[in-house]
Amino acid sequence: MMFPILGRSRAPMSTDAEPEPAEAEVAADLVRRIAAGDASAEEELVRRYSRGLVYLLRRLGASPELADDLHQETFRVVLERLRRKGLDDPAGLAAFLRGTARNLMTAERRKTARRRTDADDDELAQAVHPSPNQLSSVLHDEEAEIVRTLINELPTDRDRQLLLRFYVAEEEKDAICAALALDSLHFNRVLFRARQRFKELLERFEQRQARSRAS
Amino acid sequence: MKHLDIEDNQVIDRYVLGSLPPDEAAEFEEHYLSCQQCLDQLALAESMQRGFKRAAGQDVARIAATRQLALVAWLSRLSRSRQAAALLLTLLVVAVVALPGGLALRRLGQVDRELAETRRALEQEKERSAASSRGTADVEKLRSELDANRRELAQEQQARAQAVQQLAQAQTPQANVPILFLDAVRSGSSQEAPPFQLRRPSGNGWAVFGLQLDPPLAPSYQATLRDSRGKVIWRGPGLRPDERESLSLSLPGSLLEPGDYTLTVEAAGSPAASASRFSFRVLPPG
Repeated sequence: MMFPILGRSRAPMSTDAEPEPAEAEVAADLVRRIAAGDASAEEELVRRYSRGLVYLLRRLGASPELADDLHQETFRVVLERLRRKGLDDPAGLAAFLRGTARNLMTAERRKTARRRTDADDDELAQAVHPSPNQLSSVLHDEEAEIVRTLINELPTDRDRQLLLRFYVAEEEKDAICAALALDSLHFNRVLFRARQRFKELLERFEQRQARSRAS
Repeated sequence: MKHLDIEDNQVIDRYVLGSLPPDEAAEFEEHYLSCQQCLDQLALAESMQRGFKRAAGQDVARIAATRQLALVAWLSRLSRSRQAAALLLTLLVVAVVALPGGLALRRLGQVDRELAETRRALEQEKERSAASSRGTADVEKLRSELDANRRELAQEQQARAQAVQQLAQAQTPQANVPILFLDAVRSGSSQEAPPFQLRRPSGNGWAVFGLQLDPPLAPSYQATLRDSRGKVIWRGPGLRPDERESLSLSLPGSLLEPGDYTLTVEAAGSPAASASRFSFRVLPPG
């Protein structure tokens, strides 16, 4: 059985969004239904956690292909367990998924490390360097251009300093606030506006790209 | 985990930067597994951070290139004579500053090397000196130990010679050995001076004591010799009486300094009250 990787388009984070049922309740319901043999609950579980699981695996260092494989394997392991004997803490389904994915990733790393000890040097020398493809290179250049636009649009030098220190120098919020004599609220506001503006500019670029592909 | 907290604490940006503490990162991972909003924000934050880093990298490269271009452009704008002058000036700077500087640095390097070699030699010399001092001290210590051992050996040899001499004398037949027959002191008798006296044997002589024991006789006795102050001079256990119901003891004259003595003889295993006491006085040698 294949578990499709499901995703959604970007949506702004808002605190007044339509409230979703609490994760614990949904998870407990899914666990109960899967243990009872409800196939639709299995589909719902895959739909609910698929995208997050792939993102987590990529964050853990998996290549796109490996993340896809481990995503499948994680769902296989978790569903087998839920069908057989459920979970001691049904509300902890997300933690169980996360733990399973991490364990599989760790096992994969160990396997790779073992393989690496007897690797063929000549084969390695001939291996193609995994350089980014042309499309992602264009996207990355555009991201840099959007950042420049964003920086130029900022009203004060202090806000520019704030963003550069946070995103480039990776300084902590408290240190930046102290150095620039800012309060936490101002810091949050500048970051929020910058993200919103970045998102707008990125969406415009994506629309232009879509139009040029269509024509 | 609430979205308000995530927003206020820059959880998404810090997670992407990798600066979130492990426990908070784990909590956030469990949250975003099923949160499409957070996954959207994560993708945006990654894109934004990538953009900032790429822009910063490109700007740095651009500034460096611009500086190089500006220098070339400035040189190209100069007339030939000025270009030659600039070249000459550059050469002069090299000759005046860089060359002596380079030579000085080279010389400095040599001096440093010499200094390092000298330091190494000094260290080696110190180590040799320390080793030599340690050797001298060890020899002195061994010598003193050897002297002490020699002294102890000489003392032991002397003691052994004396013992051999004493043994030889003890094995030699002796004449005129003083013999003292003692009767037990009865309880209640008040005697100011012991009734029995003998002269201390001269040299390595011995004295013999015949003790008359009261029946019934015990199979074995213990005899204890005390001086007038009650100090135990000698004690002999396991003494068996002869067929005449008496016990003979021979004591070396060296034990018997002039003075009054009490010899207590008690049957083995009997109470001390049933012991027989014998008193005598030793007089200086005649």
